[in-house]
Amino acid sequence: MTVNVAEYNPSGYADAPVKISLRDVGKTFPIRGSDRTFTALDGVGLDVRAGEFLTLVGPSGCGKSTLLDLIAGLTAPTTGRIVIDGVPVDGPGPDRGVVFQQYALFPWRTALANVAFGLEARAVPKGERTERARHYLDLVGLSGFEQRYPHELSGGMRQRVAIARSLACDPEVLLMDEPFAALDAQTRESLQEELLLIWQKTGKTVVFITHGIDEAVYLGERVAVMTSRPGRIKHVLDIGFDSRDGDLRADRRFGEYRHHVWTLLRDEVAAAQEQERARG
Amino acid sequence: MADTVTTSRVPAVTGPAGTGAETRTEALAVTVTETETETAAAAGRRRWTGSWPALLARRTLALVLLAAAWEVLPRTGLVDPVFVPPLSQVLAAWYDLLLSGQLAEHFEASLIRSLGGFGLAIVVAIPLGLAIGWYRPVADFLSPVLELFRNTSAVALLPVFILILGLGEPSKIVFVFYACSWPILLNTISGVKTVEPLLVKSARSMGLGPLRLFQKVILPAAVPTVFTGVRLAGATSILVLLFAEMVGAKAGLGYLVQDAQFNFRIPDMYAGIITISALGLLFNLLLLRVERRFSTWRTV
Ligand SMILES: Nc1ncnc2c1ncn2[C@@H]1O[C@H](COP(=O)(O)OP(=O)(O)OP(=O)(O)O)[C@@H](O)[C@H]1O
Ligand SMILES: [Mg+2]
Repeated sequence: MTVNVAEYNPSGYADAPVKISLRDVGKTFPIRGSDRTFTALDGVGLDVRAGEFLTLVGPSGCGKSTLLDLIAGLTAPTTGRIVIDGVPVDGPGPDRGVVFQQYALFPWRTALANVAFGLEARAVPKGERTERARHYLDLVGLSGFEQRYPHELSGGMRQRVAIARSLACDPEVLLMDEPFAALDAQTRESLQEELLLIWQKTGKTVVFITHGIDEAVYLGERVAVMTSRPGRIKHVLDIGFDSRDGDLRADRRFGEYRHHVWTLLRDEVAAAQEQERARG
Repeated sequence: MADTVTTSRVPAVTGPAGTGAETRTEALAVTVTETETETAAAAGRRRWTGSWPALLARRTLALVLLAAAWEVLPRTGLVDPVFVPPLSQVLAAWYDLLLSGQLAEHFEASLIRSLGGFGLAIVVAIPLGLAIGWYRPVADFLSPVLELFRNTSAVALLPVFILILGLGEPSKIVFVFYACSWPILLNTISGVKTVEPLLVKSARSMGLGPLRLFQKVILPAAVPTVFTGVRLAGATSILVLLFAEMVGAKAGLGYLVQDAQFNFRIPDMYAGIITISALGLLFNLLLLRVERRFSTWRTV
């Protein structure tokens, strides 16, 4: 088995210490009604440096969400080690915030109360809780919707509430699973800007899953490409723009990076589709 | 007239206009059909304006029809007035019972018993259901016993309750309590068990421990299902209580109905039945109110 560790990266935050370290991480699920197991991840190796913005792409079903659950401490790896700040992960912690692929808002709470949820768990006083929740709702462009219940919001709005909720807890590590997938292009772009600003301002470490190659290249300092199932890290691509000012998407190198990621993904997506067909 | 009805109510009807109304005219007494078509047409016209008298008319229409039929059918002799006296006679009997204070006495007896058993069931079954739904060991321990009792009809156990607790109030309250516990217990268990796993995951990711998780996620998520059980139990409480009162009691609405029937005071019997319906309605309305207060977030 090959241990696939992301190479030391000379650009960007290269000098920063490793924040999240995955070594030979594997995850298998029991198959219901049989004693065989299903291998979702196998031999994943990856280092995420403190303050880094890492985007993660891979074909559908390759285990991206599974990997995020592992880093969040919501499930335990079957093999390998996950270490954060030198301490092995053994459960969820306030240092990590997760934005789930399927929003996961509490339907009995208003938007404001949803955003305040994590703060309640942290015993933040009520006044401050409300104030902070309002602030983050405003940040994702939802002021005026504080008292709406999730079922009264659109899919994109729900996703934004979920983003505000994880930001409100102010975690050091943000784990985001396709957070902008349900948004229209304009909202997505403005939230991408917002996320970059927050990241630059707060120095959070971000692991960001996406299906969008453009988004991966635009947001990430590095783009990790996963193989089809069982998922491994196929390649980690450094994205090195000279400056983040101006329109990155118009940069000549943007197209090159984009093409590179696309080439890496193409074979994996084909392999994944082949797998689905063989199984279906 | 018939044309208006069909077109205003069912615009997309394919058959010749008026067919439906005509068949109904044949089947039912003429007076009834006429009242119906008239009001229905009115309701159909007013539906678009959405005024509340129209709504009220539509809501009460069937009741008015039932009352009219009850009054008219015995009087015309289509139904034997000895067994089904006209509504007016029943209402007069009801009024007499009210004035004499008998009704209040029976009503109170029934209310205390049903509320007692029902309240007890809420207090016991909800915590028990939560524990069973949340803690595997509790579920494993209690499941076999619960499965056994759950399939034993409450009615079958009434003689046992009477044997042990006597013919007085305790046996009836315990009987109601027993019967009411099941819908509450089973719904509470399923409410806890069917909480969306993603919500639990999400809460865990925000660092909630088991206790907080239970209080802030499991409990609120289960509330609607628990309430469905409570509402079912409300209906059950009256149902089984009446049975108990008919079998052995000296007061209560069930006793009133049974006793009236024995002594051939037929209007009194119906007066008792009407009161029982009213009590059931009141119970359900009250519980719906409370339920709505607790689950404003639900889509419906
Ligand atoms: N709890 C589970 N039990 C069994 N199999 C699971 C479980 N969770 C995930 N899987 C399987 O593991 C594989 C990876 O799932 P995962 O959700 O991580 O994919 P993904 O890369 O996030 O896909 P997508 O891009 O479509 O969201 C899938 O084939 C899925 O069927
Ligand atoms: Mg996923």
